[in-house]
Amino acid sequence: MSYDMLISWIQATLRWSAPLILVSIGEVFSERSGIINMGIEGIMLSGALCGIAISFFTGSVLLSVLITMLLGVIMGIIVAFLTVSRRTNQVVTGLMINMLAMGGTNLLFALLSESRHTRVTTMPPLFPESWHGIPLIGPILTQQPVSTWIALILPFLAGIVLYKTNWGLNVRAIGDHPQAAATAGISVIKIKYQTVIISGIFAALGGCVLTLGEVGYFASGGMTAGRGFIVLAAVVVGGWDPVRTALACLVFGAADAAQLRFQAMDSVVPYQFLQMLPYLATVIALTIMVKYSRVPKTWGAAYDQRDI
Amino acid sequence: MKTIKESKFIRVPFIGELFLGGARPILGIVLGLLAGGVLIAISGVNPLTAYWAMMQGAFGNLQSFTNVLVRSSPLLLGGIGVALGIKAGVWNTGVEGYMYLGAIGAAVVGIPALSLPPVVHIILTLIVGMVFGAIWGLIPGYLRAYRGVNEVTATIMLNYVAMYLTNWLVSEPQPLAEFGSFYPMSKLLQESAQLPILMRGTSLHPGAFIGIVICLLFHFVLFYTPFGFRTRMLGANPNAARYSGVNTNKQIVLIMMSGAMLGGLAGAIEVTGLKLRVYMDFVSGVGYESVAVALLAGGNPLGVIAATFFLAFLKVGGTTMSIQTGIGAPMTDVIIALCVLFVIGVGVSERRRLENVHDVDKTETTDASDIKGGEENVV
Amino acid sequence: MDQNGLALKMEDITKRFPGVLANDRITLECKKGEVLGLLGENGAGKTTLMNILYGLHQPDSGRICIDGKEVQIASPSKAIQYGIGMVHQHFKLVDTLTVLENIILGIPSKKPLLDLVPARERMLNICKEYELFVDPDTEVWRLPVGQQQWVEIIKALYRNAKILVLDEPTSVLTPSESDQLFRAIRRLTSEGRSVIFISHKLREVMEITDRVTIIRDGKLIGTIPTKEATQAKLAQMMVGRPVSIVRKPRPAFSEKKPILVMKDVNVNDDRGLPALKNFNLTVHAGEIVGVAGVDGNGQRELAECIVGLRKPTSGTISVQNQQVTDVIADPSFIGFIPEDRQKTGLVLDFSVFENLIIKDYSRQPFVKKGILKYPVIKKHARSMIGKYNIKTPSEDVKARNLSGGNQQKVIIARELDAEPVLDIASQPTRGLDMGAVSNVHDILLNERNRGAAVLFISAELQEVMALSDRIIVLFRGEIMGDLNGETADVSTIGQMMLGQTPEVEV
Repeated sequence: MSYDMLISWIQATLRWSAPLILVSIGEVFSERSGIINMGIEGIMLSGALCGIAISFFTGSVLLSVLITMLLGVIMGIIVAFLTVSRRTNQVVTGLMINMLAMGGTNLLFALLSESRHTRVTTMPPLFPESWHGIPLIGPILTQQPVSTWIALILPFLAGIVLYKTNWGLNVRAIGDHPQAAATAGISVIKIKYQTVIISGIFAALGGCVLTLGEVGYFASGGMTAGRGFIVLAAVVVGGWDPVRTALACLVFGAADAAQLRFQAMDSVVPYQFLQMLPYLATVIALTIMVKYSRVPKTWGAAYDQRDI
Repeated sequence: MKTIKESKFIRVPFIGELFLGGARPILGIVLGLLAGGVLIAISGVNPLTAYWAMMQGAFGNLQSFTNVLVRSSPLLLGGIGVALGIKAGVWNTGVEGYMYLGAIGAAVVGIPALSLPPVVHIILTLIVGMVFGAIWGLIPGYLRAYRGVNEVTATIMLNYVAMYLTNWLVSEPQPLAEFGSFYPMSKLLQESAQLPILMRGTSLHPGAFIGIVICLLFHFVLFYTPFGFRTRMLGANPNAARYSGVNTNKQIVLIMMSGAMLGGLAGAIEVTGLKLRVYMDFVSGVGYESVAVALLAGGNPLGVIAATFFLAFLKVGGTTMSIQTGIGAPMTDVIIALCVLFVIGVGVSERRRLENVHDVDKTETTDASDIKGGEENVV
Repeated sequence: MDQNGLALKMEDITKRFPGVLANDRITLECKKGEVLGLLGENGAGKTTLMNILYGLHQPDSGRICIDGKEVQIASPSKAIQYGIGMVHQHFKLVDTLTVLENIILGIPSKKPLLDLVPARERMLNICKEYELFVDPDTEVWRLPVGQQQWVEIIKALYRNAKILVLDEPTSVLTPSESDQLFRAIRRLTSEGRSVIFISHKLREVMEITDRVTIIRDGKLIGTIPTKEATQAKLAQMMVGRPVSIVRKPRPAFSEKKPILVMKDVNVNDDRGLPALKNFNLTVHAGEIVGVAGVDGNGQRELAECIVGLRKPTSGTISVQNQQVTDVIADPSFIGFIPEDRQKTGLVLDFSVFENLIIKDYSRQPFVKKGILKYPVIKKHARSMIGKYNIKTPSEDVKARNLSGGNQQKVIIARELDAEPVLDIASQPTRGLDMGAVSNVHDILLNERNRGAAVLFISAELQEVMALSDRIIVLFRGEIMGDLNGETADVSTIGQMMLGQTPEVEV
């Protein structure tokens, strides 16, 4: 592979991974507290549309981000209400949120897409154009949108929050033994709400970065293409640790980017097989890594306050 | 069913519970329809007009009712497959993929001119479709049973793989593909491989009836055979199931494959009965709809029949509603999702204690060796 | 009543749960610096009362006064604020966190970041003062159960508990660890703190408490100074009738036919650590072999590998000359009463009649031509319900809705009715009230008398001594001794439970 191809592959990897990483940060917190938010696919999709729409109407990336985060809060509250307060089955809830989002975004997009082919303001790059000349990493630094750099730094911050703050300690305690946390005086319900809402915010944000980060468009029906579920797998592969999960996201992003590269290369392999690549990679990674990951003990279980 | 004669209607396994437990889902559905009505109103249409259009679209005349039956076919088969899994405690969300594989299987046998009598040819396509589907279910089944991989993630990933695989097979220059078409699709199925149309002027094929029969069959299997007993025990308490001698791993694989086989059948019937070709991306969400059906039904085979017709009415009626009132077609999906959300939100007793007896003395042991115990450590 | 000396007064506490009056106008008083014993059978209401004290439940009526002032305890954090510390019977520790993290868990802090340095110092001071040493940086799951107990106590002391409630604290301790605990308790009370000591071990209650409050069926029976009490009197107040645990006479069997033979068995636990080491055991027909030992020394793995739920890494297990390699769900072969009945023994969401056939469902006469025959199944259930006196409105009731004792009866009916050659009873009386306990004892003795081989695993030494023909003591997966049930004495067994092999006169 030539040098140009390598750089181009790295660029694409970063672009495709950034949304995954962002979504994964929120999901790690949620799952650490024992709630699997399977609806992140749908929330991501909603965030993707929301980001594009707001940017289209206001031209402001900042406003897009803020309103998308608000959308994430709202959807997070819905998921939290169902899974925490009503103790519904988390798989069912997530799948239905996804269906809701799919239908909702298709509806709204049909309404909005009267005016096509209009330029939408996408996310700006972080580093100045002048750095382009720097050998090796110059082009990467200048062409990646700011969201990429945020996505690369946040996992480390998330790790600090999870392992070195009181709140993070509470989250970990709740995920493994909520009754112990409750008798220590912690409000289990409150913290579960918080983590689920956080997963909503980051999922929506991830979707927004997907559309606004570079792509600049929204296509109905398949925008997120299962990426939310890839993130769910990444969390497992990463052992519920923010930084390791981000690494897993990078690997999956690389697979995603690779398939586009190979397609461009006009290779012998039919392009449909390349399209399968990220999904197969996910299944294989899961199969290998399952042994090594320690699951939060109450992963996926409903918490009943009466169970003391 | 013999038992109905012998005991009270309520005593028949789970029909009684369906009856008594039916109140809550109905409340949820009502709330979902109301919420949908609100959304319809927001988009500027009178909800009553919209729902009336929907009713007309579904019940208006015999023709539309046949559309409902046609729409139900894959949902019944996919739904019962997922329901079987739910009863066993596995989430078999791979119906999209199974349908694609079933369609491929049907195409492989149905497209070449095999000069077989129609009955034989049809049965052959359906069987091959089931086999292909079953094989596709073996993968996630094995991964879940023997490697502890979460089957929801695995099956959804494989759904995409199946979709791309199908796309490749129906695109030139593959042998199955139709050359020179504007949209990737397979060649036309042989006439001898096509399911008969039951009513002239409609697209009604036997799929829905096959589906209903299979639902009834599985109700019987689930509650009147040892296999069904094992399955339910597995779902209710895998530990006790293991103790009672059930080979839990094998059972999980069997259940996944059964569901996959039914999904394959669903895909094969879609192709041989309705579409007559395999089109690229033809499943487009029907697999996930059958998951919704199974969830609404709580895994209960008879409930699958009810839930399917509910969904099919909404879908078919929704098209009419959309044409008459201008509401976008995806609104139906939104309403369906709202209904399911409300149904689960209104509350099912799930696995938590009923309020009947308060167990003051808990008897769980929590000694030091109980670290990896607790919920299934399935990823 | 002099209010000044009272650390705690719970007055006229009433608490009702659906179907059960758990506390019926109970009044409890605890003086400063005293150890108050709280005695009662399982289900008498003592845990509910203490849960109310700890803010986990709210009383329907009544009031609580601490240091003479009436308080509302709305939640555990409030209870902690008022100086109440509770050590639950089932530890409330997060296994994956370290000791220090568990100790500071839930303490409100102004700083967002964890500040472990002052916490560590404070914890170590407490350790030193009460002679309860634990390593702050070890993850809790690695600690032996006795040390986990210390962590719970240190947790309470760290929060300045003035009233410490200990719920069955010695159930997981060896005799010497119990002594250590008692020393710590005495030190606590000498400082003016109070201890409420919940137990049903009469000997210990006599040893450590100053006064004893007895509760039965949700009502207060009485409070007496320990000096004026005897074990017999306490037992009588607790149960309402004279109680004694004596050995029942039993026929001797001349011929000793070996049924269960375990040779050099090695088994690992869930963590991959050895649970049984080079284990050799023979149980004969018509004999009860009791397995004594503190919970967690390999008892569960022992039961599981005999039944076939857990594969040994080496060695052989055979029952009636048939090798056990996997689960054999034949009811006439092995009857197993598991220690976690809700996890392994029952399917809670199934009805009683379904639970009764979970091993038989594919056999005649319950199945004919591949179809389940419900009339036959239900008739069988009804006869079992009558024969074993299972209290349930009908055979259709879900197992979840039965009481613990009746759930156990369902298991016993299913496992023992077909008269298996080998019975394994693992903690069969845990969580049962005294009537149910006595019932189980009778059943096991009857099994032995009809010729079954019975392996009886229990952490309750008294019942092991009362029932067994032979007693083996299990410590860290090894047999410390094989004693004659008639002549074995408590101190010998106690030492063996600790891992010592004293000179034994058989």
